Amino acid sequence: MRRAYIEEQKREHGRKAIAVLPVHYPKEILTAMDVLAVEMWGPPGPPRGAEAGRLQTYVCAVARNALAFMASGKADVVDAVLFPHTCDSIQGLATLLPDFGGWNKPALRYLHPKGEARPSSRAFVEKELVSLATDLESVTGRPLDTERLRWAIALHREIDGLKAQLLAGRPRLPMDDGALYALLRRGEYLWPEEHLVELRAARDQLRADPVQTGVPVAITGYVPEPMSIFATLNGAGAFVAADDYAAIGRRVVPQDGPVEGDPFAVLRDRTFAAPPCPTRASDPRIRARHLESLFGRTGVKGVIVHEPKFCEPELFDVPAVKRSAAARGLPLLLLEGELELELSAQTVTRIEAFVEMVSTGRAA
Amino acid sequence: MITRRIQYELAGRVFGPALLSFEAWQKRLKRRGKKRGPSPFGPPLESVKKLKEVMSLHYLEGRYADGAVPVAWVTSGFPVELLRPLGFHTVYPENHGALCGVQRIVPELSDAAEKEGWSRDLCSYARTDLGSVLLGKTPAGRLPKPDLLACCTNICQTVLYWYRCLADHFRVPLVLLDTPYVYGEARPHHLEYVRDQLGELIEVVEKLTGKRVDMDEIVGIVRKAREGTRLWGECLATARARPAPWTGIDGFFHLAPIVTLRGSEECNAYYRLLLDELGDRVKRGIGGIVDERRRLLWDNLPMWYGVRELSTLLAERGFNFVCTTYTNAWAEAGSRIDPADPMGSAVLAYTHIILNQDLPNRLDIMRRLSKDYSVDGAVLHSDRSCKPYSIGQIDLKERLARELGIRVLILEADHNDQRAWSPEQGNTRLGAFMESFS
Amino acid sequence: MSDAVAIGVDCGSTTTKAVAIDSGGRILYSVVERSHPRIEEQTERCLALLRERTGAAASVPIGATGYGRKRIAASRVLTEITCHARGAFFHTGKACTLVDMGGQDTKVIRVGPGGDVQDFAMNDKCAAGTGRFLEVILARLEVPLDEIAQRAAGEARPVSISSTCTVFAESEVISLVAQGEPVAGILAGLHRSLASRVASLAGSMAADADVRMSGGVAKNATMVEALGRALGRPIGVLPDPQLVGALGAALWVR
Repeated sequence: MRRAYIEEQKREHGRKAIAVLPVHYPKEILTAMDVLAVEMWGPPGPPRGAEAGRLQTYVCAVARNALAFMASGKADVVDAVLFPHTCDSIQGLATLLPDFGGWNKPALRYLHPKGEARPSSRAFVEKELVSLATDLESVTGRPLDTERLRWAIALHREIDGLKAQLLAGRPRLPMDDGALYALLRRGEYLWPEEHLVELRAARDQLRADPVQTGVPVAITGYVPEPMSIFATLNGAGAFVAADDYAAIGRRVVPQDGPVEGDPFAVLRDRTFAAPPCPTRASDPRIRARHLESLFGRTGVKGVIVHEPKFCEPELFDVPAVKRSAAARGLPLLLLEGELELELSAQTVTRIEAFVEMVSTGRAA
Repeated sequence: MITRRIQYELAGRVFGPALLSFEAWQKRLKRRGKKRGPSPFGPPLESVKKLKEVMSLHYLEGRYADGAVPVAWVTSGFPVELLRPLGFHTVYPENHGALCGVQRIVPELSDAAEKEGWSRDLCSYARTDLGSVLLGKTPAGRLPKPDLLACCTNICQTVLYWYRCLADHFRVPLVLLDTPYVYGEARPHHLEYVRDQLGELIEVVEKLTGKRVDMDEIVGIVRKAREGTRLWGECLATARARPAPWTGIDGFFHLAPIVTLRGSEECNAYYRLLLDELGDRVKRGIGGIVDERRRLLWDNLPMWYGVRELSTLLAERGFNFVCTTYTNAWAEAGSRIDPADPMGSAVLAYTHIILNQDLPNRLDIMRRLSKDYSVDGAVLHSDRSCKPYSIGQIDLKERLARELGIRVLILEADHNDQRAWSPEQGNTRLGAFMESFS
Repeated sequence: MSDAVAIGVDCGSTTTKAVAIDSGGRILYSVVERSHPRIEEQTERCLALLRERTGAAASVPIGATGYGRKRIAASRVLTEITCHARGAFFHTGKACTLVDMGGQDTKVIRVGPGGDVQDFAMNDKCAAGTGRFLEVILARLEVPLDEIAQRAAGEARPVSISSTCTVFAESEVISLVAQGEPVAGILAGLHRSLASRVASLAGSMAADADVRMSGGVAKNATMVEALGRALGRPIGVLPDPQLVGALGAALWVR
């Protein structure tokens, strides 16, 4: 399905397509260069094909599945792959695949800095953005046009603004979580202008008053897989009122105003304006403040932490997230998964028991 | 402050040596009367006594360091040469973690960290350290509290996640040297970034200590650090001889000074002593094991809790680890250090660490070691809680076997948590591996 | 006229339990069977048996819980956690921490002063902290469940078993047997290792709490004792420990 879409984009619009691994990358530059970004969060399911065994089972499913998928030729519809500097595993994959076999097309890397903004990291990220643009020029064979980059930045600002409205106005949106997340996640591969149209339509559905009647919960983690987590949550009588998934909420950077000045400087500022994320090694104290404010603002009754097993950046932060939830007296449920296609029966029980627990708490 | 300083100095110079000789005397008493079978190892290295003294003194000083001198907790790949001139006492949580691993107390420490919410799937060094901090428990008696955390990501990103947790716990500043991973050649702006950060972190530590970093002093320390890594490299290179005068497992323990005391005179003095002894053993044909029949390369960190058993199992059948990618890493980096350009060369040296470079570079190093040390086989330790060192090993195994015609075994374990190691299954695999040579 | 006012069915992964209770919560009759893959048929049969023995009318409400809960035609469907809490509270009448050790799952539940769930934890998908772990290794040692207490009794020197993975622990046990370690010591070590696993799952929930135990494994006195030692306090086993979930389900619809 996604393959057909990518082929159509290439054929109808003469676009290039680039597979992108999680999490953070300057999509604006890709859009400006008429490159369709197709994100690879897994894909979910057990790693398939003979190549799956090239990574040990204690490496997270995100890296293992990507290896199995790419090395078996399933991603050959794209023209290149981009590896953001997310963690040791994706960094290792970025040499394993191109250097030891499995990927013969161009492999690009985006080495974003870690930690909070410093003069050195601000200067570095700007040069790294330029360097990525240069690499993309050699993939597309076309130069980057500065005006077009300004246009792409404005486009993505509008997209981010709409996502922010949908997430913040969640109780007023007459849509179940499954439908909302499917919409948000279509941005992982749709041409941004098409995604914008869908997001605007969803924004127009926002009501003046809350329509969601379930128990509001917060969810934080890496990526919502399997997506049936939302049907289980909604079925049990809860809905996601606060999102802090790396794949979703942590990539929404609401920024207003016209795009002025050097667009690379604008993208640099966007990098440091993004919500705290452990894959960028944000200060846990800043993240705790961010989460506590999110929990408070949305009035959630419980916090679900949903992580892929073996994900170091995410798992190191769990005690801090626990403390943030405890600071607001919120119960917390920790779920670990391996990008399964379906939730296990035990996980379903945990989620339902958690919702039963927070519902009783609310009644009391 | 002054009394604390006196305590710190006395611990290092007077009480320490006295206490150590007392402990050694007690151990000798205990050992008396115990019978032993014939050992598959050669005569123990005399230098070990000095090694124990140097390291115990370091930890003993540490007990009195906080309040007396500024204390920094540092990752093994951090350019400590910048901290030394400001009088920092440095603590290496990785080295301390290994100490806990050798003493097999990791499960207890890790349990404490797990109880707090840190998953058992995380790095076992980090769990050991966080558990030790939470429980206030350490085989070193006491670890001084940090005034500064100094973290360099050239060995992994994990250290940064871990040190952020420490910074959160101790509420002290964390300085970060973020070293972009090197794919092929490092790009100029990547190196500029590392250089800019060195400048920034000098400012931070100057502010913290109220002292100015003296460039001449840094040059002196850089010179010593280069000399230390050169000496360490020469010590390792003695194992090219047949028989190798020591075992790769010995190397894991003798690594401690170059990791924790790099840039100091005591570190270099120690390696001169060790080099003399190793050279002498080579001349006299004394091997690390009695009957060296096969020579192996070891990849990845050791299994600290099980290295003795492992090396005994191998030595009994005439197998010796003559080189390891891990101990070699500290000899490799030093070659780039240049006292004429301390900052520029530090940028290069600290960016080009084995774990911060791509897999073709890693394969090159393994090929070179295999040839230089004439190995017959390799054991790649697939380390459950160290992803950066373990990713790629399955391909490396196949390439080493194919290109060099050597036998390669992947051994599943963990560097510090013995609960992830099954001796029954592991020893069977090692046994079959050794049998395949005959 | 029957005294039965509610029925509870706990359709677990290993066994299926059903109870009928009177208005005071007293169990009138109970059924325990090994779980079949055909859940609907099995529950129908259990329900028919309960109705026959207690004279309960078809209109008596049914509460369902356990892994198969959604496949039962019930008046109310709730998770085992919520049901166990209610069942335990019925027995204790006050706040407690409940350790429920079943075949595939081990749960620790903090039950509030009103019988509500305040917090809970479950083992991860690995079987290392569950009844299944014991079952695998006891089978390997050829020790029947009802002989454990007798075989491990008075063993002062438990053998240390460090592996936390069932497969690893199994091979560790094999090698201990091969080394000639007495079975009593291995059994004691096994229970100790499992207890420490459950204690770490309980974490802070077991601190300063009245700890009770339910589930099939609660019938193993050696396990109860080992867990008590690991948590540093005596543990009370609830009456009919295997029926606590089904009882709770019935109480929810009473």
